[in-house]
Amino acid sequence: MPPKKPSLYSLDKTHVAFAASGFILLVGLVWMVLQDSSREWKGWQRKYMAMMQERAQTELKETQAKINAEELKKLQAELAEAKSTVVQHRAEIQKAQNELDQITNRFNKVKTEYQNLKQFQDSDRYFYEEYADHHEDEKARVYDKRLKDREGELAQAKLKFEQITAEKEAKEAEIKTWTGREQEVSKKITAMEMDVTLAEGKISKFTPSLAKEILNAPMLDFIHPSLQIQQIVVEKLQDDYYFAKAQKVDRCITCHLGIDQKGLENAPQPFRTHPNLDLFLGSNSPHKLEEIGCTTCHGGSGQSVSFTTAAHTPHSSEQAKEWAKKYDWKALEFWADKMLPLNHVEASCAKCHTGTVDVPQAPKLNEGRRLVTEYGCTGCHKVEGMDRWKVGPSLAHVQSKLDGDWIVRWLQNPKEFRHSTRMPRIFNLSNASDPESLDKNNAAISGVAAYLMKNSDPVTLTAPVGKGHAENGKTLVETIGCLGCHTVGGQSANHHGPELSGLGSKVKPEWLYSWLKDPKHYNPNTRMPSLRLSDQEASDITAYLLADHNEKFESDRPPYVKPEVVADMAVSFLTGTMRHEDALKKLNAMSPEEQLEFVGSKVIAHQGCFGCHEIKGFEDAKPIGTELTYEGTKDLSRFDFGFVEIPRTRQAWIFQKLKDPRAYDRGKVKPYFEKLKMPHFEFSDEQADAITTFVLSLQKSSIPLEMQKVLDSREKETEAGRLLVEKMNCQGCHTVDGVEGRVRSIIEDAGNAPPILDGEGKKVRERWLYHFLKGPTPIRPWLKYRMPTFGFSDQETHSLVTYFNHLSNVHERYVEDETPVTTPEHVKQGGPLFTQLQCIKCHQAHPDAALSSSFLAPNLEMAKDRLRPDWILEWLKDPQVVMPGTMMPGFFPDGASPLPDILNGDATEQIRAIRDYLMVFNPDEKPAAAAAGAKDRKNTAT
Amino acid sequence: MKQSLKTFALLMTAAYALSHPAWAASVKGSVAFAGAAPAPKTVNMAADPTCAALHKTPQPDEDLVVNSNNTLKNVFVYVKTGLEGKTFPAPAEPVSFDQNGCHYVPHVVGVMVGQPFQIINSDSTLHNVHSLAKESKQFNLGMPIKGMKIKKTFEKPEIMAKVKCDVHPWMHAYVGVLSHPFYAVSGDDGSFEIKDLPPGKYTLEAWQETLGTKTVEITVPDSGDTAPVQFSFGS
Repeated sequence: MPPKKPSLYSLDKTHVAFAASGFILLVGLVWMVLQDSSREWKGWQRKYMAMMQERAQTELKETQAKINAEELKKLQAELAEAKSTVVQHRAEIQKAQNELDQITNRFNKVKTEYQNLKQFQDSDRYFYEEYADHHEDEKARVYDKRLKDREGELAQAKLKFEQITAEKEAKEAEIKTWTGREQEVSKKITAMEMDVTLAEGKISKFTPSLAKEILNAPMLDFIHPSLQIQQIVVEKLQDDYYFAKAQKVDRCITCHLGIDQKGLENAPQPFRTHPNLDLFLGSNSPHKLEEIGCTTCHGGSGQSVSFTTAAHTPHSSEQAKEWAKKYDWKALEFWADKMLPLNHVEASCAKCHTGTVDVPQAPKLNEGRRLVTEYGCTGCHKVEGMDRWKVGPSLAHVQSKLDGDWIVRWLQNPKEFRHSTRMPRIFNLSNASDPESLDKNNAAISGVAAYLMKNSDPVTLTAPVGKGHAENGKTLVETIGCLGCHTVGGQSANHHGPELSGLGSKVKPEWLYSWLKDPKHYNPNTRMPSLRLSDQEASDITAYLLADHNEKFESDRPPYVKPEVVADMAVSFLTGTMRHEDALKKLNAMSPEEQLEFVGSKVIAHQGCFGCHEIKGFEDAKPIGTELTYEGTKDLSRFDFGFVEIPRTRQAWIFQKLKDPRAYDRGKVKPYFEKLKMPHFEFSDEQADAITTFVLSLQKSSIPLEMQKVLDSREKETEAGRLLVEKMNCQGCHTVDGVEGRVRSIIEDAGNAPPILDGEGKKVRERWLYHFLKGPTPIRPWLKYRMPTFGFSDQETHSLVTYFNHLSNVHERYVEDETPVTTPEHVKQGGPLFTQLQCIKCHQAHPDAALSSSFLAPNLEMAKDRLRPDWILEWLKDPQVVMPGTMMPGFFPDGASPLPDILNGDATEQIRAIRDYLMVFNPDEKPAAAAAGAKDRKNTAT
Repeated sequence: MKQSLKTFALLMTAAYALSHPAWAASVKGSVAFAGAAPAPKTVNMAADPTCAALHKTPQPDEDLVVNSNNTLKNVFVYVKTGLEGKTFPAPAEPVSFDQNGCHYVPHVVGVMVGQPFQIINSDSTLHNVHSLAKESKQFNLGMPIKGMKIKKTFEKPEIMAKVKCDVHPWMHAYVGVLSHPFYAVSGDDGSFEIKDLPPGKYTLEAWQETLGTKTVEITVPDSGDTAPVQFSFGS
C-alpha cells in the first residue's frame, strides 16, 4: 500500500464538498429553470384552453343536435346514387374528358393568339398617337396603315376565341350532366356538417397533447410553444418612461384572451369579452384594438404580464381584499401610472375627446363635468378650455337686496337656511373649529358682511302694486314656467335656479317685486329671464313666495365679534406688507368699522368669493385655487396626503378632498390663514365620484393630434350652442337634442307642455327664430307656460339659431327666407282646401276657452313668416313622420286626398296649394276666403 | 307565399270542419252588473257647436253603460287561450267604425289582424281618428268631409287598442285586435254570442274599459252547444 501522499487538504473531504456543491448547483439550476418557466400567465392560458375546449364540446353537441338526421340520410342516399351514375357513365365521362382536354389545348392556343394580336394593336396605336401628336405624319401614316391592316385579322381572332370558348363551355356542361349531381349533393352535405367540422376543429385546437406539452416544456419552449405572450404593438402611440419614450406595447391580451371574441360575455375574468365591441376593440369600431391598445384607456403597465405588476387598481377596499385573496394582489408602490379603476375609466375618453360639452357614451364623465359647471369649481380652479360663468348671484348691489345681519347668519352655514343650496360652507369647518379659530371665523364673517354692505351700489326698487294674492301667485308659479328652472313648494322638476324657499326670511317685497318684473335691472348679467309679468302677477308671486319663512333661521342671532380679534387679524394682514410698528400705527388710524371692512376685504381676497360672485373691488382678481388643467396626470408625489389613511392614488386623494376638503390638515399645526381653505360642498358619494372621474380626465394628452377627435367648424358651432342651452337650461322645459324637457315630468296634459324642439331648424325660418329668441311672442296662446325673454346678445342668439340648424342638418344659410314660388292657381285652390279640410277648427287665431288644450294649434297667420315652406309640405304629407305622436292628424293617408274634385284629387298638388295659400293667409280676410271656399265648394260639389 | 298560406289555412279549416260535425257550436252568455247602477254620466259637447246641435238631450258617457236589466253593454268577450297554434284567415269584408253624432259607433269593436278596418265620418264636422295602439303602427287621420271613408288595418293582436278624437275630447273607443274570429261585444241586453267555436277547452275573457277583466274556463263538447256563460262585474 503506497504511503499516503501528504497533502494540504483532505481529498475525501474535497470529493464530498464537490459532490455536495454539484448537487446544490444542479438543484439550483433545475429550480431556476422551473421557476422561470412557471409563470402566472401560463396558468391563465391553460385555464383559457380548458374553458374553450369545454365550450367547443358543448357547441359540438349543440350543432350535432341541430343537424336534421333525416335530411342528412336522404342526402347521403342521393350522394350514393349520384356516385353510381358517375360509375355507370365512366366511359362516356372519360371520353368527354379527353375531348375537353383537346379543346382546352386549342383554347389556350387561340387565346394566346388573340391576346398577342391585341397587344400588337395597342402598341401600334400608342405609336400612332405619339407620332400624330408630334406631327410626324409620315411615321404616323405607317402605323395607321398597320392598325387598319390588322383590324380584320383581329376581328377574326376574336370570333375564333369566342367560338372555342363556347365549345369549351358546352363540353364542360356535358361532363357536368353526369358529375354535377354528385358535386352538388356533397357540397350540401359539407355545408350541413360545416358547424360540426368547425366545432371539431376548435376542440382539437384547445385539447392538450403530448406534442404541445413537449413544446411548452422548460428549456424547449423557445422553439414553438403553444403558450406564448401575446402583445399589441401600437404603432402611433408611445409610452413615456421619463426621459425616454418607447412604442406602446400592451401585453394585456396574454391573459385577457377573449377580450375581442364575441360569445364570452359571461365567461369568468380574465377571459370575458370587452363590453360593447361595436364601440371598442372591434375591427369596425372607432376604437380598434390594434390602433388604440389597452393601456391608452385603462392605464397601467402594458408590458407586464402578472396581475400585480400590470398595476391593476381596485375600485374599493373590498375589491382590494378580494384581489389579494384571489390573485395575490399587492399595491404597487413605485409605479406612478397605475391602471384606472373601472369606475373612473371614462376619464380616459377626454384624452381624445375634447372641446365638446358631452362625450358620447361617457355618462359619468359628463355628469362630473356638469357638476363642476353647476357648482362653479372653475371660479377658483382654472381649467384651460373650460371658460364658465360666475354661478353665484352678483353682489354688486347686494345692499338693496339683503341686510348685513342676514349675510352673517347665512355665512355661518348656508345649508341651515336652505338645504339644497349650492353655496358651500366656508367657515367653522373641521380645521378651524377650535375656540381661537371660531373667534376669527366670526370676525371674518362680520368683516365680509360689512365689506359687502359698504361696497355695493343701491338700485332703485319699486314697491309691489296693489295687494298680492298668494293663492294666485302659487298658481302662476306652478303654471307659467318658474318650474322650468326652480323647485318651489314641493314641485320639483328642475334645480337650475335656487330653490324658492324661505324667501320671507331673506328679501324685502320691493326687491322681489322689482326682480321679478325685470331681473336685469338688479343684475345685468343674471341668467334669470323675464317672464313678462304684469304688475298684478308680479305682486301675486311676491306675496306667495314671501309667505314662506324659515323660522329656525330667523331666530338665529349673529354671534358676538370680539373687537380685539378683528384688530389682531387686521394687524396680521398689515404686517404682510409693512413693519409691525407701522401696522399698529395704521390700525390705530382706522375706526372699528373700517377695521372690520378691511378684514372683510382681505378675507374675500383670501377665500376667493369673487370666483362665483361679482363683487365690487374684485373685478380683476385672479382665481385662488390650484389650476386643474393637468390634474389627472399630475405627479403623485405632489399630492399632500397628510396624515389621512387612504390608498396613495390620485382618485382616492381627489375623492377625499371633495368629501372633506379640510381633511388633509388633520394633525397639522398651521396659522389661521395658512390652513386649507377649499369650502365644503357636501357632495354625495355619487357626486364626488363623478367629479373625481372628471378631474382625472384633465390630462396632458400624449395622443397625436391626428388620432384625436377634432371638431370641424359645424361641430364647434353646435357645441357652442349646446353650452348655451345648458347655461340657460332650455331643456328644463323643451325636449331637444336627445333630452326630454324636464318639466314634462310634472305636466299631466301633454297639450300643456312646452313644445318639442327636435327638428326646429328644419321647421322654422332662421330670421323668424332669431327675432323670436330676441323677443318671444306667443305662438300657442292657450299654453300657460311662457317662453321667457332671456335678453340674449346678438351673438348668443346667432349661436342658438346655428345650433338648431345644425341639429336638423340645415346648413345652407344663404337660401334661408327665400320666398317660395307660389302660383296664383295654387293659392286660389288652397282657399277651398283650407276651408273644406277645416284647418281653422284647431288652428284658431282666438281660441275658444271651452276647448281643451290638447287639440289647439298655432295661429296659421304666423306660418308665412315662421315656417320653412318646404317643411310645410313634409308636415302636411304625414305629420306623424315628422313628429311621431303629434296631435296634428294626417289628411292625406297613404298619399290619397279625400277631395277628388280639387286639382284632380292629386294629394301632392293639394298640399302645395294649401302651402301656397298659407303664404298669403290672413285670418282677417277670413270671410272673403271662406266665401271663396264656399263658392268653390258649390262649383265642385258632386 | 302569403296566398298559399291562406289557401292552406282554408283547406285545413275545411278539413277540420268536415271531420268535426260540431263545428257550428256557438257560445252564448251575458254580462251581469252586480250592485246598484251608478247614475249615468253625460258628456259636454259645447266645445263644438256642430256636435251640440246634433242632440236635443245630453249625451251619455259610454265608459260604463248599465242596461235596464242590470247587464253591461260594450263588454268585449273573446277567446283568450285555447286556440294556440291555429291560424285563421282574416275576412275580406271590413269592420265598420263610424263617427256618428260625435260618437264612435260602435264604442267597442273587434277586428282581426289584417282585416280591413273601415273608418267612416257621418258627421259634417272635422273628426280626427287618433289610434294609440301599442302593438300596431299608430295613425292619426283627419276626416273633414262628411261621408268620407278610410281603410286601415292592425298588424298585431292587442287587448285593447284605444282610439280617440283630439278635436272632441269625449270621443274615444276601444278596438280589440285578435288573430282569430272568436269574439263578441255585449249588446243592449248584456248578451253576447261567439259563433263557430271548434270543440276544445278555452279561457274566455270579458273586458270592460273601467271595470277591468274577468275570465271563465269553458269546454266546447264534440256535439251540442255549450252551457251559457255568465260574467259578472261589480261596481
